[in-house]
Amino acid sequence: MTKENINFKYILATVLLFIALILPSEIMAQRMGHGASRGGGRTMSRGGGHSMSRPSSRPSNNRATTNRSSSRNKATTRPSTSNRTPSRSINGGHTKNKSRDFSKNKMPNRSTNRATNNKSTRDRSATGDRSSRDKSAPKLDTRNRKTSNVKDRSGNRGNGNRGNNINSGNRRNINIDNSRTVNVNRRNTYVRPSPRRYSRPPYAYGGYRYYCHRPYFYHPFVPFYWGPYYHPWGYFVTSLATTAIIVSIVNDNDDDDDEEYHYENGNYYLKTEDGFVAVQAPVGAEVPDIPDEAEKVEVNNTTNYYYGGAFYEQNKDGYIVVPATAGTIVPGLPEGGEEVKIGDVTYVQFGDTYYQPIQVDGKDMYEIVEVKKE
Amino acid sequence: MVFPFKNKQPKIMKIHLSLLFFLIFSVNSFSQINKDHDSTAIFILDKMADVIGDLQSVTFELDNSTDQFDSNNNIEKQYSTSTISFSGPNKLRVKIEGTNGTKGFWYDGSYLSFYNFDENNYVTLEAPETTLEMIDEMHVNYDFQFPAADFFYPNFTDDMMEQFDSIKFLGKKTIDNEECYHIMATNSELNVQLWISNKTYLLPKHFVMIYKNKSNLQYESTFKSWNLNPDIPDAAFDFLPPPRARLISILKKS
Repeated sequence: MTKENINFKYILATVLLFIALILPSEIMAQRMGHGASRGGGRTMSRGGGHSMSRPSSRPSNNRATTNRSSSRNKATTRPSTSNRTPSRSINGGHTKNKSRDFSKNKMPNRSTNRATNNKSTRDRSATGDRSSRDKSAPKLDTRNRKTSNVKDRSGNRGNGNRGNNINSGNRRNINIDNSRTVNVNRRNTYVRPSPRRYSRPPYAYGGYRYYCHRPYFYHPFVPFYWGPYYHPWGYFVTSLATTAIIVSIVNDNDDDDDEEYHYENGNYYLKTEDGFVAVQAPVGAEVPDIPDEAEKVEVNNTTNYYYGGAFYEQNKDGYIVVPATAGTIVPGLPEGGEEVKIGDVTYVQFGDTYYQPIQVDGKDMYEIVEVKKE
Repeated sequence: MVFPFKNKQPKIMKIHLSLLFFLIFSVNSFSQINKDHDSTAIFILDKMADVIGDLQSVTFELDNSTDQFDSNNNIEKQYSTSTISFSGPNKLRVKIEGTNGTKGFWYDGSYLSFYNFDENNYVTLEAPETTLEMIDEMHVNYDFQFPAADFFYPNFTDDMMEQFDSIKFLGKKTIDNEECYHIMATNSELNVQLWISNKTYLLPKHFVMIYKNKSNLQYESTFKSWNLNPDIPDAAFDFLPPPRARLISILKKS
């Protein structure tokens, strides 16, 4: 009997121990099972006890459930969740024509369909939230960012108002006014077409074709300085040396231009109230001599001289400033140029002249682009 | 006797009018019949657009191959891989690396910045309020290409139905060990084929565009590494110019 009793006790104890061990895990399993079958988010939003038992480190699972967010709103822990959820969709949600009737669906104009009133107001509130957040935590301010200068070819091309004022900015550290405005005279940036046929296909962008003989090879635009006598455009002097001469301009058809150009050592100046300001070489100017730094460039099977961004042709009296010819390769460009992204390429622009960065025998150079309307 | 006669005229008018309406409607319905759209294909496209429309943020990678004509009018292939992140309605980040260089777009809801990694220069422009408006405007004004942007338009299916005369479901195909629904859409200029993954979510897996009028030039893309609703910090969409990077001007297309 005692043996049986002991045996029975042992069996009872084992069974009790077994039950005690099994029961909690079973309960756990049931709870897990509920969660899985009903969907974690919904079960949690139903019972307060459940949500209490869950650690708060998993709030993101339930962002989309409206029940939960409303209960959370009462607790004011995440007030913006319910507002933010709908507007966070990357495209405002899929919209479709339910009837699938094509006659009504003639013009699903993208811009009108997308820019619904609801969305725009929601967006604004979102940005408002953000700015207030920015105030609390100082961050990199990207709101008032400097934007690119947008150029436009269409319409007012050639009336002289567009892009003439090229602000060359604060790059130079010379004792001159850095905020000066370099005025690129469009008449002097006219490009003569290339006499050679282009073997490369042009680069087409925005209704214009850009022809070049050589392939595009980008290098950053760094203004070139032609020795100690060279003065970049915009350079101001109060007086000129006595060797300066007043240049005569031939072949000038523009009647409105009665300005006197003063020439000295390859630089051209216009007289202002206080003194003289360096400008680009006027096309047609005839000068007796050019600086020794002038480089020979091959243009149209003749030799031209290139100095300070101007092209000279030699004649019996001296040198005459000629317009740039497309296809000419030059080693450097003066200050006053502006890098402009035109589709996939970046050119340097002076008024109407575009220079394509190229490489010749390992050296960075520029080729004058021929621009034709399509 | 006069009245009945007078009454007759409006009746004839009514008949004429109804005939006219009938004609107009029949012509309209005829033009609808011209389009051959498979309901299964439309259903799959709708489901895919639903999934995309419900996303709050997404990142994925895109392998592209693009055909271009070279100087001798031969077709030249260009390859690139893009990493694309959308977050909310007004954040986009794209990095494109490939045979045409490395480029990046940052859109933070106010500004779009385009940075050319090889040239170390960038363009920053004021941009519209939403990602899709921005994509539209930048494409029209500056010819910026945002890879696979078409899939993210809210009325993607409607756009497809409007643009293509025929949309067909060609069955289930396996690409990259993923079962996909194969859909072909055609019109007189384009042949577009989509493979929409049926793995877990209906998301695009692969697509090909064939330009019929341009020597059958092809544009081909494979989607991979989909990451749905990741938590991307807003700062990731702010562009900070690298040292010595130059802000340059930009020429508007038209």
